[in-house]
Amino acid sequence: MSARTSTEVREGRSAGSAGRPGGGRPQVQQWKDRLEGSGIPWILPAVILVVGLIYFSIGYTGYVSTLDWNGFILSPADHVGASNFTTMFSDRVFWLALQHTAVFYVVTFTIQTAIGFFFAALMHSQLKLGNVYKVIIFVPTVLAPATMAPVFRNIFDTHGQFNWLLEHVGLNFLARPWLAENGTAMPVVMGITIWQWTGLTFILFYAAMSQIETEILEAARVDGAGNLRTLWSIVWPMCAGTTAALAVLGFIGALKTFDVPYLITKGGPNHATEFLGTYIYQTMVQQKHFGYAAAISIALLVLAIGGGVAMSIRNRAAEGK
Amino acid sequence: MTKVARQLALKLNLAVRKRFAFLFRSPQPLNPHRSGRQKEKDIDMSKKTFGKRRRALTASILGVALLGVGACSSGGGDTPASPGSTTDGSITWWGWTPDKANADKLIAAFNKEYPNIKVEFVSKPIDSYDSVLSPAITSSDGPDVFNVAPGSANGGVETFQAGAIDLAPAVTKALGSDWKTKLAASGVDGLTVGDKVVGLSAGAVYSGSLWINQDLFDKYGVKPPTTLQEWKDVCATFKAGGQGCFVQGAGQWAFDMDTFEAIMENVKPGAYVAASKGETKYNDPSFTKGLEIWKSLFDDGIMQEGAIGLQQYPDANNAFMAGDYAMVMMGTWYTQYAVKDSMVAAMEAAGVGSPTPFTLIPIQFPDVAGTGNTNLMFGDADYGLAVSAKSQHQEAATTFALWLTTSQAGQQAVANTLNDIPSLIGVQPEWGSIDLVNSDAQLAALKNLTDVAGAAPRPRFASVSADLNTAFRDALIGVASNDMSIPDAEAALQAVVDKQK
Repeated sequence: MSARTSTEVREGRSAGSAGRPGGGRPQVQQWKDRLEGSGIPWILPAVILVVGLIYFSIGYTGYVSTLDWNGFILSPADHVGASNFTTMFSDRVFWLALQHTAVFYVVTFTIQTAIGFFFAALMHSQLKLGNVYKVIIFVPTVLAPATMAPVFRNIFDTHGQFNWLLEHVGLNFLARPWLAENGTAMPVVMGITIWQWTGLTFILFYAAMSQIETEILEAARVDGAGNLRTLWSIVWPMCAGTTAALAVLGFIGALKTFDVPYLITKGGPNHATEFLGTYIYQTMVQQKHFGYAAAISIALLVLAIGGGVAMSIRNRAAEGK
Repeated sequence: MTKVARQLALKLNLAVRKRFAFLFRSPQPLNPHRSGRQKEKDIDMSKKTFGKRRRALTASILGVALLGVGACSSGGGDTPASPGSTTDGSITWWGWTPDKANADKLIAAFNKEYPNIKVEFVSKPIDSYDSVLSPAITSSDGPDVFNVAPGSANGGVETFQAGAIDLAPAVTKALGSDWKTKLAASGVDGLTVGDKVVGLSAGAVYSGSLWINQDLFDKYGVKPPTTLQEWKDVCATFKAGGQGCFVQGAGQWAFDMDTFEAIMENVKPGAYVAASKGETKYNDPSFTKGLEIWKSLFDDGIMQEGAIGLQQYPDANNAFMAGDYAMVMMGTWYTQYAVKDSMVAAMEAAGVGSPTPFTLIPIQFPDVAGTGNTNLMFGDADYGLAVSAKSQHQEAATTFALWLTTSQAGQQAVANTLNDIPSLIGVQPEWGSIDLVNSDAQLAALKNLTDVAGAAPRPRFASVSADLNTAFRDALIGVASNDMSIPDAEAALQAVVDKQK
């Protein structure tokens, strides 16, 4: 039956196309050519892979977020609808994690940008041993947080090197258990993150500054602009694209923050360094609430996509002005 | 079914490689002087060939995808595993404990009786144990024997009971119908779900004791504290001499729960467990008293400064092993470090160069509430052995699990590692063959610890759910750091228990 239908269709199409210019080529063949021209067959394997692995996982996470499940495949799961999301919106720790993420993003992005931009400008001023400084600034970026975590735990311990340093420069009154106090644990986490990622910011600004035409800088000099004026009015605006890209990357990075707070403070004390990533890990691995963890993951995804898109739109609008 | 699927997948894989080969082959050079007709012919041939290849490629991808779906579906099914032989086979044992050295000792002792059962121990980190075990025990390629734990810990029986066989018939056959009376209660109830014996306890760990560096106590001329006031005085003496007194990694709240349960056992024995089961309320005055004492450990100079910024492992353990502190809150698992070699290894791991082992002694938790309720420890099975329902060697796996957990020889081997208190009642470590650091000073205390622990009436974590565990973290650290009032902490704990009802 199907073979017959197929033949009829083929015949029908051939007849239908006979009157067209260049007719005689079967319509199926034309369709195939169009398909080939579109490139779809060539990207199909990649599409299958991406849809299969990534978007299926996202969809599955969305499905799990409607379950009350301990995560073990043989264990039964109860469908709870939107209950996990309702719980999430009334969860103090969830909002605390969001608040920490916002503060963390603003502080780390601002400081990293300022230091990275400053160092990049400095390195463009024909400094002696410039390459050595570049390596020194960039090295923290390639060090694994897991490797550095015990070192930082030691440095910021009550009897650690940071307090030792404070005591030896006459600032004894500042010495404290940095990782054990709510007010100081987060600044330590932010400080470590800035130490780690400023190298990347520096490299990107350095590359962006290399693209600025020397004639523009020379014209500014001729017009009487000093170093600071040139930096502020010429170099900084011309690095706006880099700054915008770093802002988006930093935003998504802040939402995904996990390794430093988990390895240094475990999200504590008293959730003082809790982020969405650490909270998801806690609810999923330690408390076995896979459904609830999936709901927070979906929230994280929505925030990352929504925030990223909003920032891109804003940047494009700014570029258009 | 899985084997068939695998073979089909292999064949398809080969077919796909064959089909994909054209993508990697260098194209045949075309003759630039071809005739126009030859060119048309080449183009036509090329279209035909690529058309066929595309169809074949699409079919292959779809085939692989369908096979994958089929294979995934079969993985979760209840495929009966072939049981195999009771005395012959090759099995794999997954667990977070014991460490490799002790596991090798246990397996060597087992092979003296069962030389034809080869056991491979695969050590898995405790933090990721659940994540790696979950997929593994749904497959016949996973472990034959795996560790399970009571309560809310990783490897919890409640979570993994669906992937294990019921060991009740096997243990009844081995020890008789009264088998429960021959094993420590802590190892039976905590590893049973409903009527299903999910795991059999190899040994138990108990907490509620403190460990001291006797050499430091001798050096400073102080005696182990027996009351809260004595504890404060001892710490004041150590501090005056620049020596750390008591160390706890209070950021790792499982050990905070140990200390708090020890306090509560002293204030009102049984209240801690009763409240976790919902049999009493957390606003009972005994809990207020217990939390006040807990807070005073931080406020009155017993806990080291910055305690809640540290983890028990590695921070507090290393600091104690390095001699920076004279006391630490640890349980019976610390007995292994009373042995010379183990202590030297632990000190080296803590960063001590050329270590000289010190006299490690267990003492009972001080009478901090002045009630006289002392010598009360609490514990759970350290780990139980479960046999995978998907194992192809279930009989051999069951032989191993039963030998280690219920036989005299197996339990003696467990006892001699000094890592766990044996599950089989009456088995003691062979102290005469164990090389203690300072036998004269240690032996009596270690024997007493074993006796007190063996008689421990209450569980450690078995009655605490994962949610309550987390609530304890917030409550104990919150109270200690003045971020939560005692009534708020009690209310938060009660709310979790009420929700579970």
